Amino acid sequence: MMENLVYIALFAPFASSLFAALFGMSPRQTFVGIIASLLLFTSFVASALLAYYVYTTGNSIHVTMMEWISAGDLTIPFGFLVDQVSVTMMTVVTLVSTVVHIYSIGYMDHDKSFNRFFSYLSAFVFSMMILVMSDNFAGLFIGWEGVGVCSWLLIGFWYHKADVTRDENPSISPSWAANEAFIVNRIADLGMLVGLFIIYWNVGSLQYDVVFSALPNLSGSVLNAAALALFIGAMGKSAQFPLHTWLTDAMEGPTPVSALIHAATMVTAGVFLVIRANPIFSMTPEVSFFIAALGTFVAFFAASMALVNRDLKRIIAFSTLSQLGYMFAAAGLGAYWIALFHLAAHAFFKALLFLGAGNVMHAMHDELDIFKMGGLKKAMNWTYAYMGVASLALAGIPVFAGFFSKDAIIETAFNEGTYVLWAILVLTAGMTAFYSFRQVFLTFHGKARYDESTLHPHEMYKFVLIAMSPLALLAVIAGFFMGGFQTFVTKLLPDYVMSEHTHHLIWVLTAVVLVFAVGGIWLAYKKYANGLKRDEELENSFIYKLLANQYYIPQFYEEFITKPYAMLSEKMWTSVDMKIVDATVDGIAKLIYKSGDGSRKMQTGNLSNYLNWMAVGAVLLLVVAAISAMLG
Amino acid sequence: MDNILSVLVFFPAIAGLLGFVVDKESARTYGITVAAIELFLSLWLWFSFDSANAGMQFVEMIPLIPDFGVSYYIGVDGISLFIIIMAALMTLIGMMSMSITKNIKNMIITLLFLEMTMIGVFVALDAIIFYLFWELSLVPMLYIIGAWGGPLRVYASIKFFLYTFAGSLIMLVGMLFMAYVYHNLTGVWSFAITDWYALVLPVDYQLWLFAAFFFGFAIKVPMFPFHTWLPYAHGQAPTIGSVILAAVLLKMGTYGFVRFSLPMFPDASVMMITPIAVISIIMIIYTAMVAYAQKDIKQVIAYSSVSHMGIIMLGIFAMNAEGISGSVFQMLSHGIVSGALFMLVGVIYDRRHTKLMSEFGGLASVMPKYAVIFGIMLMAAVGLPLTIGFVGEFLVLLGFYQVSPIMTILAGTSIIIGAIYMLAVYKKSFFGPVTNEANKTLKDLDAKETWSLVPLVLIVIWLGIYPKPVLEPIDNSVKAMLVFMDEKAITKEAKDMIKVAKSSQGGV
Repeated sequence: MMENLVYIALFAPFASSLFAALFGMSPRQTFVGIIASLLLFTSFVASALLAYYVYTTGNSIHVTMMEWISAGDLTIPFGFLVDQVSVTMMTVVTLVSTVVHIYSIGYMDHDKSFNRFFSYLSAFVFSMMILVMSDNFAGLFIGWEGVGVCSWLLIGFWYHKADVTRDENPSISPSWAANEAFIVNRIADLGMLVGLFIIYWNVGSLQYDVVFSALPNLSGSVLNAAALALFIGAMGKSAQFPLHTWLTDAMEGPTPVSALIHAATMVTAGVFLVIRANPIFSMTPEVSFFIAALGTFVAFFAASMALVNRDLKRIIAFSTLSQLGYMFAAAGLGAYWIALFHLAAHAFFKALLFLGAGNVMHAMHDELDIFKMGGLKKAMNWTYAYMGVASLALAGIPVFAGFFSKDAIIETAFNEGTYVLWAILVLTAGMTAFYSFRQVFLTFHGKARYDESTLHPHEMYKFVLIAMSPLALLAVIAGFFMGGFQTFVTKLLPDYVMSEHTHHLIWVLTAVVLVFAVGGIWLAYKKYANGLKRDEELENSFIYKLLANQYYIPQFYEEFITKPYAMLSEKMWTSVDMKIVDATVDGIAKLIYKSGDGSRKMQTGNLSNYLNWMAVGAVLLLVVAAISAMLG
Repeated sequence: MDNILSVLVFFPAIAGLLGFVVDKESARTYGITVAAIELFLSLWLWFSFDSANAGMQFVEMIPLIPDFGVSYYIGVDGISLFIIIMAALMTLIGMMSMSITKNIKNMIITLLFLEMTMIGVFVALDAIIFYLFWELSLVPMLYIIGAWGGPLRVYASIKFFLYTFAGSLIMLVGMLFMAYVYHNLTGVWSFAITDWYALVLPVDYQLWLFAAFFFGFAIKVPMFPFHTWLPYAHGQAPTIGSVILAAVLLKMGTYGFVRFSLPMFPDASVMMITPIAVISIIMIIYTAMVAYAQKDIKQVIAYSSVSHMGIIMLGIFAMNAEGISGSVFQMLSHGIVSGALFMLVGVIYDRRHTKLMSEFGGLASVMPKYAVIFGIMLMAAVGLPLTIGFVGEFLVLLGFYQVSPIMTILAGTSIIIGAIYMLAVYKKSFFGPVTNEANKTLKDLDAKETWSLVPLVLIVIWLGIYPKPVLEPIDNSVKAMLVFMDEKAITKEAKDMIKVAKSSQGGV
């Protein structure tokens, strides 16, 4: 029974993808979207039942479907593991996916590739389910690459758009952004593969249970290498510095994609990997501290870029990046369950935020510049409420989900005595609140900054708004389940509790964070709630430009990696391959030909010439014979 | 059927001879029928093949020149079995998809002769027989490129012929010397490969012989820096020529290393790991970069072939079952995928008579089916899990990691730079707006093209999800070979380096 549920949860999205693919090249059919959503809902129900089972019994379910690759001493099965960690992920993924599927029926309404979109979207969910459910590292890698391809397909969904300059569109074009995402992820995937190789040659298996039980026999350097290699893999999917540029460019994809893939699920895969492989990371404190430090840095770094950005989706993308940094900070400090909790809570409110942004884009005819919005509150009550709730959760205001999860991470940093990380995370919490509400106020408050005679913003379809409500509800209440969640997942994950000392200070700590969060909102309110007043001096300052241009990192990559690579490739071809390698071959051939051609002149038909040559030959032979005789 | 191998070798040739009397109009149908029967026979061979038996099966032996130990000696094991099936498959699919109408009868007959030589190479267990088929395979390909090729076809075909022929001659000298050594040591003449296996040679002999065979194989593979004939051959060859060349003929080289170099010269092979790995890494990285610089879509695929062959070479010299089995599997994978990619390039060439990517753009909008199949093959080429391309590449890199982590990481960059040039091709050709007027009215795949490509797509996915039926026999034979090499090796380095799989230690 439970086994069947595992397969239903896993394969319902696959069936959905295949079904939609059948209609991939035919005109838009609403029922494709409906059936896809129903199948996704089925998957959600199965996941929820499994979660209930795991919760009530405390057992995990392990199924092995069949053998995949087997060569030498290596055996990799298609095996699936439903335990506290994976079932949490499954439930979160399928819940958000179902909402996003229903949402897309409305959002992609006028797109001629409607059916194709659902095929890709469901294929993504299937890959993501493989990723989280697999019982071994290689199976995880299948999902890992699968979500990468689906992400490529979906970022480049509007592939027909032409490339433009970076000034016009920082992402150049959907197909450019898609390729960038794929290639950057591949760089990290190499690290991941190396991690698998290290594990295999030191343990002899890639099964989680075998690997984790063999860890005590491994040397410190092997563990460090494996942990570092796996984390490099995680850095790609979760867009950690310096592999972060693709995530904001990925906003070229349709907004439901941004909500599902580039906010709620795929980008958290890296965090999931660290949580899943926590026995390895627990044994490598140096690598773990590096993860926490990098995570903290990214949290701050991404938030700083969000402060000045004008693009609605990019602001949310930067905030995703920043929140991923928080998750890594928690995981790196050993608070795996807190990282997982923030992952889940973030999935709800961030997906909600993105879907709200999608409503705004829908209303504004794909306008993304928040400087050209304003006053949308009137026309879009629901969306305003949703985005407001999501932003409150993101900012970490009490009772909302983000308050509990993010606060716990910040406390962890304090508890570990890493006060520098703590200070940065607190500061970042303030920045988060500021940029979130800067965006809310600029979008919904003040006067309209668009041409009201041509553009009449309208609210999204009713069913879409209703479909979004579960996310809104969870963004509000998810925090109350924190205690239950802790008991649930710490049956598998190492528990993490605050020390006595931290516990005493908990009110002070919370108050500090709150001061920053409320301060951020207050600042945003002061500056933006009554309309936008441009500050030329500020906008022309060095810092502002640095942030607005993402620290010039995309330009740096282009000038120092992309262009030199293309130039070097060109040189390799024209100068090395053609002029050296091939020319040498042809040179040898020509030499042989020429020598043959030259010696042909000996064949004159003149007998005395021949006699001369004969004499020369005889003398040469004599000399050779004499020399060889002398050499002995 | 005990002599099914002989039937497999000579049926296409005899049918090819009979083809001369077939009417020109029906030549194509005739060829497809023959190739289909041949494929059926090869599948039957697989069906009758005993997967648990790692040794040679369906062995036939007829002495030809007893005084010199030359005999008609053929057989098949897990390593060669699937290459034979792939050769039969790609010949059939290549013929089905062929758009050539000029001298179609000659083409069909040539292809059938080519099929004989290809299968002959992979079943031969006698060095002379091997050499005969090896060299004979040059003639039909020379004709295909020279008669149906592009403007530079004469230059390209002669370059192909002379270059590979020069290498083979050195290999022939090696073979003769090997037979001479065998005679010196045992007092009898023999060209049987299995007899040669039994010979334990001093290390310096091994090195010289390894070098002689190396030239023959390396030019065929083609390994850097002997690869420059390949872009010319592909650039000028008609689609069918490129398909067969990439899918099967290149595999002769890598197969040669597995069949001859490793078991005959285990100590020399181990000593050569580092130089070969360095060359392989150069092949992987350098040609991938050159591929990225290409303007002509077919040249990209041609250079990418060299890059992928680098992965195969690396796996062969991993000296463990994971690497070598992965490598043999990758030979099949590369055969199917690059064959399909060349066919796909042929599709657009037939329509536009150009292969320059700058002429295309936005093809996904006008030819969606074509774009889908190209996309699947592209993903297989960059080694996406659950496609055929992942299994081999993963196993090769995994296997070689045991030899050298650093070199594996260098070689592993192939998953990055492979994606770079492949995605660039896809973006330039399929994405973006349709800017060129000529592309706006292009027809999507027709029935003939679809039916030639769909089976390959199915194989790519099937063997990506469930490679076991193919991987298991390969792995059995590879494990047995490693056990044998380990026993035979005389130097300590080689004994240490050759890794016998734990699962095969019990049986020996």
